[in-house]
Amino acid sequence: MSPEKTRKTEESVDEAALTTTQYLVETAKQLQTEVEALKSEIRKARNPTSTKIGIIFLVPGVLSLVFSIFYNSQVLAFIGLGLTFWGALFFLVKPVRYVKGSLLDSAAFASYSTIDRIIKDLKYKGKSYYLPPYPKDAYLPEYLRGLKDMIVFISADSGPSMPSIEEMAKSKFFLENPKGISAVPPGLGLLAQFEKELGADITKVEMTELCEILPRIILENFHLAKEVQMKLEENQIYLKTVDSIDKELYAAAENLRSVYLLGSPLVSAIACAIAKNTGKIVTIRQIKVSPDAETIEAWYNFIEG
Amino acid sequence: MNFPLSLSDISLWLAVTAIILLITSELLSSSTEYAGNIVIDRTRLRLAALAVGVSFMITVAIRAIRPF
Repeated sequence: MSPEKTRKTEESVDEAALTTTQYLVETAKQLQTEVEALKSEIRKARNPTSTKIGIIFLVPGVLSLVFSIFYNSQVLAFIGLGLTFWGALFFLVKPVRYVKGSLLDSAAFASYSTIDRIIKDLKYKGKSYYLPPYPKDAYLPEYLRGLKDMIVFISADSGPSMPSIEEMAKSKFFLENPKGISAVPPGLGLLAQFEKELGADITKVEMTELCEILPRIILENFHLAKEVQMKLEENQIYLKTVDSIDKELYAAAENLRSVYLLGSPLVSAIACAIAKNTGKIVTIRQIKVSPDAETIEAWYNFIEG
Repeated sequence: MNFPLSLSDISLWLAVTAIILLITSELLSSSTEYAGNIVIDRTRLRLAALAVGVSFMITVAIRAIRPF
């Protein structure tokens, strides 16, 4: 190899090395910036604004109280008391962790989609029946323990027959007599939250009272809708929600049948609550959705078990 | 070097604070339409308001039992 060629090769190798080094330096810088950004995000998450405001109030408050004792000043004492109290209050009433409401739809969508596929695959044309569970404190033999779980039975045809106690107790997914599937209601988790907020067993509340309490919990405690109306009518319960958090499930492009069959998580939670409260089988007779999915109306019927 | 506020002063301060907090917590829990975007722990705020209210009542009771 001639010396000139060797030099050229060496130069090209150097250039390549330089480019690689430059690229690596750039990447390292970029990563460092990202790390810094992430660190500041973590810091922000750890110290929310209310904590900062709390410190801003608390420090001069305590100082003012101390000086009020030294200078025997009532004005300083009042200022100190006020600032200290509000500072402590800001620490106490920190914002609760909120997540975007659309996450509920996204999380629930997969479950509804799966149920939809199962229903389509098995060619089921029936209805959904919310079966009340046995009270948690009731004694049941080991082989009947499955009856303490709340289930929703989706029948294969529109016949009114219900699965036998033995079959329900087995906690099976596919039921044979009558044909259908028994699933966990999509609103069961929400119902558990409602009960936790209520601080009492839902079975111990009167139905008329429940129609007043549930909308209040949904609106004031969980902000799941802008307006909720629940009315006890003759052998049925009427529910109306305006701008509910899971309305997008009804407006989904895939037109999920299971959402109309089982109800959205909110509608399903109320069906579970009614079934648990009355001890009767509850079915969703009809769900009416306005064209913009703002208003959702549901009618629940009781079936004597 | 004594604390410059008497029991009456503290009682007055507690009364004013309790009224402010009770009205705030009541407004926050009743008007969901306007207060829906305020993200604070309302239960704790209500508890704090009640605690201040009870403290005021205690100071009143102390003053009633021992007026001087």
